[in-house]
Amino acid sequence: MNDRKRLSLVSSLLIGLSSVLMIVSIFFPWWKMLFFAPQYPEGLNIIVYPNKLAGEIDIINGLNHYIGMSNFGAENFPELSYLIYIIIGLAAVTLITALLRNKKILYGLISLLVIGGLIGVVDLYSALKKYGTNLDPHAPIKMDPFVPPIIGDNTVANFTTHSMLGTGIYFVIAAFLLLLIPLWKDRVK
Amino acid sequence: MKKWVPITSGLLAGFIAATISFANFSSNPKSETASASNKSDAEKVYVPFGQKDDYYMFASGGHSGQMFIYGVPSMRKIRTIPVFSPDSATGYGFDEHSKKLMGGYTWGDLHHPAFSETNGDYNGKWMFATDVGNSRAAVVDLKTFTTKDIIKVPNTAGPHCAAFVTENTEYMFLPTRFAVPLGQKYESLDDYSSKYRGVMSAVTFNEKNVKLNIAYQVALPPWSYDLSDAGKKGSKDWAVMTTYNTEEATTTMEVNASQADRDYIVLFNWKELEKMVKEGKYENVGGQKMIFPEKQKGGIYLVPVAKSPHGVDVTPDGKYFIASGKLAPAMTVFSFEKAFKAVQNKDFAGERNGIPILKYESVMEREVNPENALGPLHTQFDDKGMAYTTMFISSEIVKWDPKTGKTLDRVPVQYSPGHSVAAEGDTVSPDGKWLVALNKLAKDTYLSVGPSHPESMQLIDISGKMKVIQSAPVDPEPHYAQMIKADKIKTIEVYPKDPKNKDAVYEQKDTKIVRKGNEVHVYGIAMRSRFVFDAKSKRPDVIEVNQGDHVFIHLTNIDFDEDITHGFAINDYNLNMEVQPGQTNTMEFTADKAGTFPLYCTNFCSALHQEMNGYFLVKPKK
Repeated sequence: MNDRKRLSLVSSLLIGLSSVLMIVSIFFPWWKMLFFAPQYPEGLNIIVYPNKLAGEIDIINGLNHYIGMSNFGAENFPELSYLIYIIIGLAAVTLITALLRNKKILYGLISLLVIGGLIGVVDLYSALKKYGTNLDPHAPIKMDPFVPPIIGDNTVANFTTHSMLGTGIYFVIAAFLLLLIPLWKDRVK
Repeated sequence: MKKWVPITSGLLAGFIAATISFANFSSNPKSETASASNKSDAEKVYVPFGQKDDYYMFASGGHSGQMFIYGVPSMRKIRTIPVFSPDSATGYGFDEHSKKLMGGYTWGDLHHPAFSETNGDYNGKWMFATDVGNSRAAVVDLKTFTTKDIIKVPNTAGPHCAAFVTENTEYMFLPTRFAVPLGQKYESLDDYSSKYRGVMSAVTFNEKNVKLNIAYQVALPPWSYDLSDAGKKGSKDWAVMTTYNTEEATTTMEVNASQADRDYIVLFNWKELEKMVKEGKYENVGGQKMIFPEKQKGGIYLVPVAKSPHGVDVTPDGKYFIASGKLAPAMTVFSFEKAFKAVQNKDFAGERNGIPILKYESVMEREVNPENALGPLHTQFDDKGMAYTTMFISSEIVKWDPKTGKTLDRVPVQYSPGHSVAAEGDTVSPDGKWLVALNKLAKDTYLSVGPSHPESMQLIDISGKMKVIQSAPVDPEPHYAQMIKADKIKTIEVYPKDPKNKDAVYEQKDTKIVRKGNEVHVYGIAMRSRFVFDAKSKRPDVIEVNQGDHVFIHLTNIDFDEDITHGFAINDYNLNMEVQPGQTNTMEFTADKAGTFPLYCTNFCSALHQEMNGYFLVKPKK
């Protein structure tokens, strides 16, 4: 390991592990919104996986028509059809980085992930804004437009919503942290 | 070198991932297991919001034709299941399926409910019931608590002595209370003994297509068959039933049917009867395979019993059956083993109507006569095999030991109990927890509602010394009930989508109204808070037909959500049905009245339920 631009074996293993965590994250929800109302003490869920929506979507859609919100559905989120391939691609790049053990490529990878993460946050925010502000003016219940937070609580009529990150995103965060460790470990001394 | 930095951060990252995946953040609520002994009576029956009863009690609704579901120990009524009578609250008898089940009858007399069993224990899948009023049998699905099939039983009139199921629900036997001529055709009562029969039916249930069927019938003598029970364990191939009016009286029964000192218990081996039918030992009577015991011999025996017996109950171990003469003070414990031995040795005391009679002494185990107890009717059991017998006349429950005959405990009830029901008290493994006395008279127990009083059900704690701790009024009229551990019943909350159902539509856009000649088929949906019958129409919630049209309204509730049931009524057309979450139901009728008829949701569904309506327009004939 005399080459300053090369990463140590331990770093390479950590980056490899990071790649594995990215793949694992696909099987877990990345984000969810829980709805509670006096009549729904058990809660209703919108659970977002990288490739699908789960939870009581039909029931939530049925209720949302009262405030004129348009329907949630996989067809309204084209991201769900390709997001999974982007993740697999990033995991593959990460694995290659681990094999090449080149610092510059690692910098590039980290930048790529930062950009991807920012795009993801903006995308989610814009979806929440679209649903909360594009309300049908003929709906039985007139509501002021609203934007539910990405993380946190909001109140809509008799419902309190809790938005939170899912297990999958924590795997991604862990994967990201693993990529940062080599920066410290193999820093130029 | 600070090697620890990467190592610790690596561990930290791994730890975060592991915690998120595997940790259980929910706190473990401490279960409250206060023992029964340190609770007050009020605490024993109080089930706070958020908790549920330990047992379901299915009480027959008698001549209401319905079944009542109660929670025990709270004794709260949870539900009424309409079985033999129409019920506008649930649209039962109005929608096509249940209208066909009704077969034109408008009432029934539901007597003895019976759970389906596996190895002599309730399996929580099905509930059977019989109708004494119009001679029918029914099956209720315990996933939905709805009646699925009803069968009309020919050659028989009033299957009171039913239903009882064999150990693995092979058969449900339906003996009759009233003897009638075969085919129920006209015959003079002067020919009662020769022309009348007390026909017993062996009904099978096909779990796959949910249909009841009559396997065969037995033309028993023209007596009244009162109550019955199937054997258990060693006696599982056998069944017993009590008879009265072996005098074959045809008038003023209360006197004339009470003359003989002894009536009989009919003891039969259903495996043997099944074999006889397989071997062709029967006659064809109006399409039914009929065994005539005097001609096709075997499998049926008579055991003499104290006169006019009512209940007969098999002990949980299957070794004994207990019968009690309702006019005699004593109960008799009979031994199956002794009876089998007598049958084997052909130790008979003659025949009656071609059926061999066993000797009372050779089958009787012991007579039990609790002091001053009068009118023993029915017996239930606890986990130790102890018997609890209702005393109609002395108005009490007596606990006694079938092995010794010793009276152990007694408690007065208000007033005149018919049956009682203990927790799983007629199975091979009773729970020994609660007993409910089903009293025939309430008298002054509750706030007065005028001369006709409700019946009364009293909850008795049998965990220690018997004590009445709660009383609940009930509509007429529970005869028998069965109590099942709540966790044995697995209900569904929403009907699953059925892509094969041609009447169902699950999307608003697929709704349509199709006309074929003078038939109008509506394929509509109900959802909070609207009806859609034709999505493309200017007014999607309006159905317009011509006078005389034959109308089919297929309605699907597309709210796949717990407890969101919709109703569908057409004002002034005398029509109302219900669609449970996810369910598709059909209403069929002729639009014979011209005019304008509002249609609306009858089952309160949402904040805008009141707006959930439309119009049914019938154009007059020119």
